[in-house]
Formats: sequence, structure tokens, C-alpha cells
Amino acid sequence: MMIAACLDIGSTWTKGATFEVDEERNSVRILRHSSRPTTVGNLSEAFLGVLDDIATDNPLPMIRRGLMKLQYSSSAKGGLAVAAIGLVPEVTLEVGKIAAQSAGARLTQVFSYHLTQQDIISLEARQPDILLFAGGTDGGNSQYILSNAQRIAESAIECEIVYAGNRSVADDVKAILAHKKLRVVDNLLPSFDEPSPEPAQEAIRTIFLDTIVKGKGLDTIVSATGIAPLPTPFVVLEYARAIHEHVPGWEEFLMFDMGGATTDVYSVHRESPEAGTVLRGIPEPKVKRSVEGDLGMRVSAHAAARVEGAARRAALGRADVNLDTLTDYADKLIAAPDYLPGNTHEQVMDTLLAGICVGHACSRHVGRWARMYTPEGEVKVQTGRDLTKISKVIGSGGWLSRQAGFHPSGWFSDHSIDARGRNVLVPHQFDYYRDEQSMFPLLANLAREYPRAAARAGIGMLVR
Amino acid sequence: MKMTTVVLGVIGNDCHAVGNKIIENSLTQEGLNVVNLGVMVSQDEFIDAAIETGAKAILVSSIYGHGEIDCEGLRGRCIERGLENIILYVGGNLVIGKRDFSEVASLFKKMGYDRVFSPSVELTEVVENLRQDIARLA
Repeated sequence: MMIAACLDIGSTWTKGATFEVDEERNSVRILRHSSRPTTVGNLSEAFLGVLDDIATDNPLPMIRRGLMKLQYSSSAKGGLAVAAIGLVPEVTLEVGKIAAQSAGARLTQVFSYHLTQQDIISLEARQPDILLFAGGTDGGNSQYILSNAQRIAESAIECEIVYAGNRSVADDVKAILAHKKLRVVDNLLPSFDEPSPEPAQEAIRTIFLDTIVKGKGLDTIVSATGIAPLPTPFVVLEYARAIHEHVPGWEEFLMFDMGGATTDVYSVHRESPEAGTVLRGIPEPKVKRSVEGDLGMRVSAHAAARVEGAARRAALGRADVNLDTLTDYADKLIAAPDYLPGNTHEQVMDTLLAGICVGHACSRHVGRWARMYTPEGEVKVQTGRDLTKISKVIGSGGWLSRQAGFHPSGWFSDHSIDARGRNVLVPHQFDYYRDEQSMFPLLANLAREYPRAAARAGIGMLVR
Repeated sequence: MKMTTVVLGVIGNDCHAVGNKIIENSLTQEGLNVVNLGVMVSQDEFIDAAIETGAKAILVSSIYGHGEIDCEGLRGRCIERGLENIILYVGGNLVIGKRDFSEVASLFKKMGYDRVFSPSVELTEVVENLRQDIARLA
């Protein structure tokens, strides 16, 4: 038997639980759990408070003496902001976006081809935590990279820079950016059609540990406990991988984590196209995360209500709500992010916002197919991942965890055809599960030490 | 010496995969770095790949008879997207009906292709031409 304390520092709540893990039987029992409002000025206050609440004894000596394990994650301050530079939007920039999001980052800005003066100005004005700089396959294009490196060198950009582009000019980039905080890693697209996002992801996580952790009290936690945090979305992505590996029947699934500011989508899926389907575009990873910064229930409510298209028309029509009413409600939410619906009408609006977020986030996460006619007959041309046959979908995060009556199916099918007439590969028939006790971020931390036990426990706690 | 990269693919709604594989194998054996995009490749996909890989040439195949429609405009698109000096080759069953090959060749040269190959061409000849054209670029 082992006792493990797991905590997650979110932007509004710091949550924690202690688990008793039976390694032989791979079972997990929750001993205590607690949550406190995140102390934004000094994250260690709420953290150490929650740790005290959940520990059976004085926690810090227990951790130091190895009597209790500790793992924790943080998404405070809105997580890790990454700006990505690629060459062609559909090629190195696309791989860069997936690499950053799967490392747990939030994309703040993206750039392709030559960086313009305007691009540099906007990077200087809204400096990310990390600038992910890619472009060119190994031995491929170098002009764009060298010119972009020069622009960055002459700029006032001070953040960490990760270079993950054409290896042939890595030394030149190193020389040009010698006065910046630069890390050079292997190319994220060493050869065309063979993405390799892992070295860039590893660098992003290391920088998170080395620098982002400093200040705001996270360093206090590290020195008190001797243990470093990881970005919450990264821990959850690895948890999805653990579920895929250790829980029979859960080889493939889709998961949403919807908060006030963003909607995160995770999926585990291996592409196996049927005969008559031609796959186009850069291959995607088996475990993928995407995060939508304009889709959320509170801070991003207004942006979510503003996403135009047939899906929103259908949703408003079904709920019999007009657009002005919805945007007025969204404005109210932005002014008071803690607001909870006061009557049935407002509950309808909350459901409407949630449905819009879940639908759009799903549609952006999945691939497309279009029918093409060839002399050999009809062919399906597919880009991105086909999740139509996914049979299990999980909802987590505050609102989705609580809403027993909500089912995403109808919100997905609003998106089945996109504006260009292509089929959107959203799930068709599936069982919907809720992480009712919001245990996933905590179990994800537990999974770092006990992947099998934590994966099984999490699935066991889901409700239909 | 740095290997020369070329981008290869079958353009349009054409899914003839066998010849494409044969070309890839032959060119690879000749020491070229071949980025093979396979079948049903759009003009922009050829260009995307050529930009990222720094390719010297784009080799377009068309087998199903719609080459005239699919291949038109690729040169202009390359120039628009910054590939002013890329070598463009095209080959295969480029048109339907029994048209004289010299007529077909001049049609595709007018579209901006540097060389046009008939279905019966020896691949060694294509490689020889490529070497000369690339040397001329440098």
C-alpha cells in the first residue's frame, strides 16, 4: 500500500486528493480530498493549505521521508503561452501547432513564411513564454529560416526561443541568435511526411520547469517539497495515453475539458483508412490535444457566441433564443466570471454556450473528407483524423462534469458538413461519460507514478 | 555533397499508384532524394512540399487523361508562391485521344513545364535531363 497526494493548481481552484494505491491489485481508494480558491499572488498558500487538508499527518516531513508520494500540476496564469513560427501553414506550422498543444501549451500567435515587421511588433507587444521557431525539412529550405532568425535577432523579443527547424542551418541560427535565450533541438519535420514533434515538446516542458515555475510561489512549493510541477494539459494528455494502454475497451476515445477560458480536446486514435480512401496532409500523432482559446463558458463566452456559421443558427433555432439575447448574456458572464445561472432561461443559455463550445472544438479537432470522382470510380479524400467510429466520449471540467442532462451528440451533428461542403469526421454513435467528481486532473498526476491503477480508477469513476 | 531533392506525385483526381512507385524507386537508385506525395496530389501540395524541402524540381505525373486541365497554371502558382526557379517536369498519358506527342509536348511547354515526357520514356533519360537542368540552375 502506498499513499500519494496529488494536486492541481488551476486558475480559479487549487484541488487535491490523497489516494491509497494497492500496486498488486492495481486499485485506488480516495482517502481525502479538498479544494481552495487559488491564491493568485502566491500559489504556494492555497497549495500548502490543500496539502494540509488532505494529508493524514504533517505532509512535508512525510513527503521528504518517502512515506507519501507527491505529484502536482499547474495551469495557473492561463498556462504556458507559446507563439509558433513555421514555413508553410499546412506543413511545418501545423506540426509546430500540434507539438506546442500536445506539450500542454496554449498557442497565442502563429506565423508562416517570412516574418514581417508587423509580425515582430506584435510579438514584441505580446511576448509569449516560448517562441517555437521551425521551418524546412533537414537539408530543405534555409532562406526563410535565416531571414526570420535575422528579424528575431534584431527584435526586442526576450522570451525563450526553441529552434526546431532545418538542421542544416542550426549552427547559423545559433550564431545569429547567440544573444537570445535559445535552445536548439531536432527538427520537428526532419523529412517530409515524418513529423517528429517530441524533441520540441520535451524542450517546452523543460522550459516550463526551469523558468515558468519561477515566481508566483511555485518555486516556494518546489523548495518545500523537492518536487517540480508539470503543465496540467500535458499531464492529462499522458493520462489519456495511460487509459489507452491499460484499460480494455478504451483503446480509442475522445475527451473534453471545458473551462471558463478554453476548451481542450484530447483524442486517442490510430488512423486505419478503408479501401477507397486516400489520406492527404501531414500524419497526426496517436494521442492529440487541441485547445481552443476562443471557446469557453465564461471569460471566452462572448467569443464563443460570436463564432458564425450554420451550427450556431441551428443551435439558436432549437433553443428558440435570438443572437442578441445570447451575446448579452455572454457580456454579463465576462463581467462576472463566477456567475451561475439564476433561472431556467439562463440555464438554457449556459447549455447553449456549452453546446456551441463542444461542437466547434470537436469540429476543429477532427479531420474532413470529400468525395472525388475518378475514372476508377468514387474515392474519399481524407485529411486529419477520422473519429466517426469513436464509441466513447468523456466530458470533464466544471460544467461538463456536473451537467447530468447534457449530451454532446446533437452539438456534434450540427457540424457534420463544413462550409466547403466537406464531411466533418465527428463521432456518430457513442456513449457519453462524465467525470462527475472532477477527479481526472488529480488522477492524471497519480498516473505519473501508477499509470495502470490510476487509469483504471478514473474509468471506474465515470458516470453515464 | 548535398543530395538533390525532387518532389514527385500524381496530380489531380488520379489514383494510379503503380507507376508512381516505380518512378520513386528508380530515381532513388539514381541517388536523388525523392519526396513522393503519392496519388491525388493538388498543385498546392506539390508547392508546399517543394518549399519545405528546398526541392530543385517538381515531377508531375498524370495517367488518367485529364492532365491538360490539372496541370494548367502550376507554373504561375509556383511563381506566386515564391518558387521562381523551380524545374517543372510532366509525364504520362497527358491527354485523351490519339494526338501527336510533339503537339502534346508543345502544349505543356507553353504551360511552363521545362520538359514533357511520353509514357514510354526511359527513366534514366529523365534523370540525365534532371542532372543537366539542375547543373544549369547552379
